[in-house]
Amino acid sequence: MTQERPLLAVQAALKKCFLAVQQQQGLWQSTLADCRPLLAALRNLAEQLQAAQNLRFEDVPSLRAFPGLQERLRRKQLEAGDTALDKLGERLAALLKVRDTVSSHVGQVLQIYEQHADTLGIDAVLQASVLSPSVADMLEWLQDIERHYRSSYLKRKYLLSSIHWGDLANTQALPKAWDRISEDEHQDLVQDTLLNVSFFLEE
Amino acid sequence: MAPDSGSLPEGPILKLLPLDTKDRGTQRCRLGPAAFRALGAHLGSAVKISLPDGGSCLCTAWPRRDGADGFVQLDTQCASPGSAVGAPGSRGSLSLSRLRLVPCPPLRRLTVWPELRERAGAPAAPSPAAVLEAAQEMLRNRPVSRGHVVAAPSGVPGPVAALHIVSGVPSPDPAGLVTPHTRIGLGAVPPSEAQPQPEVPLGGLSEAADSLRELLRLPLRYPRTLAALGLAVPRGVLLAGPPGVGKTQLVRAVVREAGAELLAVSAPALQGARPGETEENVRRVFQRAQELASRRPTLLFLDEVDALCPRRGGAHQAPEGRVVAQVLTLLDGISGDREVVVVGSTNRPDALDPALRRPGRFDREIVIGTPTLKQRKAILQVITSKMPISGQVDLSLLAEMTVGYVGADLTALCREAALHALLHSEKNQDNPMIYETDFLEAFKKIQPSSFRSVIGLMDIKPVGWEQIGGLEDVKLKLKQSIEWPLKFPREFVRMGLTQPKGVLLYGPPGCAKTTLVRALATSCHCSFVSVSGADLFSPFVGDSEKLLSQVFQQARANTPAIVFLDEIDSIVGSRSVSKAGCNVQERVLSVLLNELDGVGLKTIERRGSKSDQQGKYKELKKNEELECQEVFNQNVMIVAATNRPDVLDDALLRPGRLDKIIYIPPPDEKGRLSILKVCTKNMPVGPNVSLENLAAETCFFSGADLGNLCKEAALLALQEDGLEATAVKQEHFLKSLKTVKPSLSHKDLTLYKNLFQKQGFSNVEDV
Repeated sequence: MTQERPLLAVQAALKKCFLAVQQQQGLWQSTLADCRPLLAALRNLAEQLQAAQNLRFEDVPSLRAFPGLQERLRRKQLEAGDTALDKLGERLAALLKVRDTVSSHVGQVLQIYEQHADTLGIDAVLQASVLSPSVADMLEWLQDIERHYRSSYLKRKYLLSSIHWGDLANTQALPKAWDRISEDEHQDLVQDTLLNVSFFLEE
Repeated sequence: MAPDSGSLPEGPILKLLPLDTKDRGTQRCRLGPAAFRALGAHLGSAVKISLPDGGSCLCTAWPRRDGADGFVQLDTQCASPGSAVGAPGSRGSLSLSRLRLVPCPPLRRLTVWPELRERAGAPAAPSPAAVLEAAQEMLRNRPVSRGHVVAAPSGVPGPVAALHIVSGVPSPDPAGLVTPHTRIGLGAVPPSEAQPQPEVPLGGLSEAADSLRELLRLPLRYPRTLAALGLAVPRGVLLAGPPGVGKTQLVRAVVREAGAELLAVSAPALQGARPGETEENVRRVFQRAQELASRRPTLLFLDEVDALCPRRGGAHQAPEGRVVAQVLTLLDGISGDREVVVVGSTNRPDALDPALRRPGRFDREIVIGTPTLKQRKAILQVITSKMPISGQVDLSLLAEMTVGYVGADLTALCREAALHALLHSEKNQDNPMIYETDFLEAFKKIQPSSFRSVIGLMDIKPVGWEQIGGLEDVKLKLKQSIEWPLKFPREFVRMGLTQPKGVLLYGPPGCAKTTLVRALATSCHCSFVSVSGADLFSPFVGDSEKLLSQVFQQARANTPAIVFLDEIDSIVGSRSVSKAGCNVQERVLSVLLNELDGVGLKTIERRGSKSDQQGKYKELKKNEELECQEVFNQNVMIVAATNRPDVLDDALLRPGRLDKIIYIPPPDEKGRLSILKVCTKNMPVGPNVSLENLAAETCFFSGADLGNLCKEAALLALQEDGLEATAVKQEHFLKSLKTVKPSLSHKDLTLYKNLFQKQGFSNVEDV
């Protein structure tokens, strides 16, 4: 009976953590969905800027009436771009928050396991049943999920920090690059893992 | 469970499997449950593993998914420098005792030294804040160990390529865990190279190495002086020399010594299929070199540069022209920036575009020829310095024997010798010793690479001087003019003698001219090239001349060498005899005259170091013997044989070309006797046979005739006594003497005898 209690404690912590992950995953997905229109806006702005650069304003008779049109247009476009970038920055902060929450939850579970590790022994940890996967597997999955959030966040952050207005072609390709990040990594990792533990959560 | 590794000192052997793709970058080490129990590990415990290659890595222990025992998979993301590269693909086995559970306390502070990633298009270094943030991200929740390197996973972008763990509080030795609360700082200085790179000593290339070293180091050592002088340091070197002499080796060694970065590119690898692709590749390589150069001195090494920059101006060479132009502009562009040294290597410097070979592009040209005797000795000393060699092995002798061997060949020779010693000595397998006989065995197997494609290279059946009957004074003369200079150079120098350039052997057919040359080749250790008309003549105009000059060029690369021209009268014509004008033979003749006594050598044929040739008396006394020999061995000697000396061109026969003219007379009676003895050596001769009488009766018989006579007699014996014949009797010889006629006549002989006497040559002796 002495073996049962620590195992139950770890399992309870795991359950709590998975539930938190489930919740955070929803947040993460919705935030990503919010980013898409902003990225499209950025792409359009880049296209406009490019078009304005290619146009020679003094050669177009109807535009000659407006003095300083080119500069003003450019300033306007850049302002719009900066607004979009600021909003993206907010979304990124939200993603960071998701990541940190998951990270702290996973850290807590690992800590609880560490406390009970000596009494648990390796066999109990490796034991899987019909309803619940083994503790080792679940801990591993949690680590994987945490790493997934981390790398995914990092990639997006580096992508956004690489934007600058001198490089319009790069900015135009932004939505594609953004999508590629999602495609590159194991996209459904979190969903799959949550499915794996669904019986365990309902227990 | 208690760790029971104490009872098993060696521990069970675990098979090392390649890592699952899923685990890449996780720093996990997959173990079976038994290993877990043996180590007493929990999930995620830090485990330090000493790798088979001497390094170590730090991992977290996780159970294998299938629960199988006896296997181990490692992710070497945090490992000692150097071992991280080769490990992922490696297979092998690992004893469980190499795994050690280490305590992993959380760290309060950690100092790392970041190794930055080079990014195309972003030459500016990223700000320290960005680097710090990236480092924090990379190390989060990782166990680390001091002295290890944490490599960034390949898929994740960021400015950092790897982090060297320098120090921490508490000290991460053997391990420490980075938590979100750990304060990470950047170290100012890179950690000292833990293991100094093994020095690769260079044998006999010191001059070339000095030149390169100077280029790399000058701007580092004296930046201000150079700036004050307003000098642009030369930044380009062209290395020219035959394959295998150590061009690449030289560059690598110098780079390692100077602590510089080497970017080695093989020029053919830059070629692209689409138009413009090659130029793009070239630009990319130079840009990469520039990026590297912004951090430390960099050497860009273009191997086989002749493939990239051929001579422009041909009919269909527009694409090549563009590439050459691109390289030229890039080389010029680099001269503004003092960091990149460009070294090109080629074995066909003449095929390069001339525009490449001017100061500002390739400023210096270093010609590395096939090693001379002294250099070979130096190379052998370097190679054998780590081999267990018995004291009796004479490296000087070995160097003397290995004519025409380049560094690669000598390495192969030593390897072969070592293998032979290993395979053939039964008594002490543990500490084998390499003896001279091993080297001699290996010598039979390894053929010098510079000699593999030579025209007219021969396998000669060795013939000793004593196997040729008679002709004692001719043998002496040949030895005098060819063997002595090679063997006793000191004496020759003392007497103020110069080596003869060439020897002409003439005499009636069948009198052992060719056999004499064979004996000569056997007795002196030198390269022997035999050229006949079949090798030289070709249907294309100018081809024969080129081939002949190539023969000499290759022979000069392998001095001392003997070039043997058999039946020289058919190869070169005579300008005085034929009136037809410009035919092939005359052109070949003129090439031969030039090769024998030309103005000088081509620059690309330079060998040895300059100091060898200029200051030969300044050297230490103990080396004098070697020096002397070396100076004397610069020459190629030509030996020609003919039986029609009267049709040879006069210019060929003057001193300085074929200056020694030796008449090979038909054998006299004593000579015939010894020839007969040689011919009947393997023949069962009856007791009544008197070879003396035969010798007396066979006047005007040449050596070949005598051989034929013996053969006829033996055949006759078989014919008359049936197939059971046991001996050749005197009557067989007498009978065959009636049928075999001498091939020489008195008229011919007087012609030969008087030929050169009339013209005033005194060195023809009467028979």
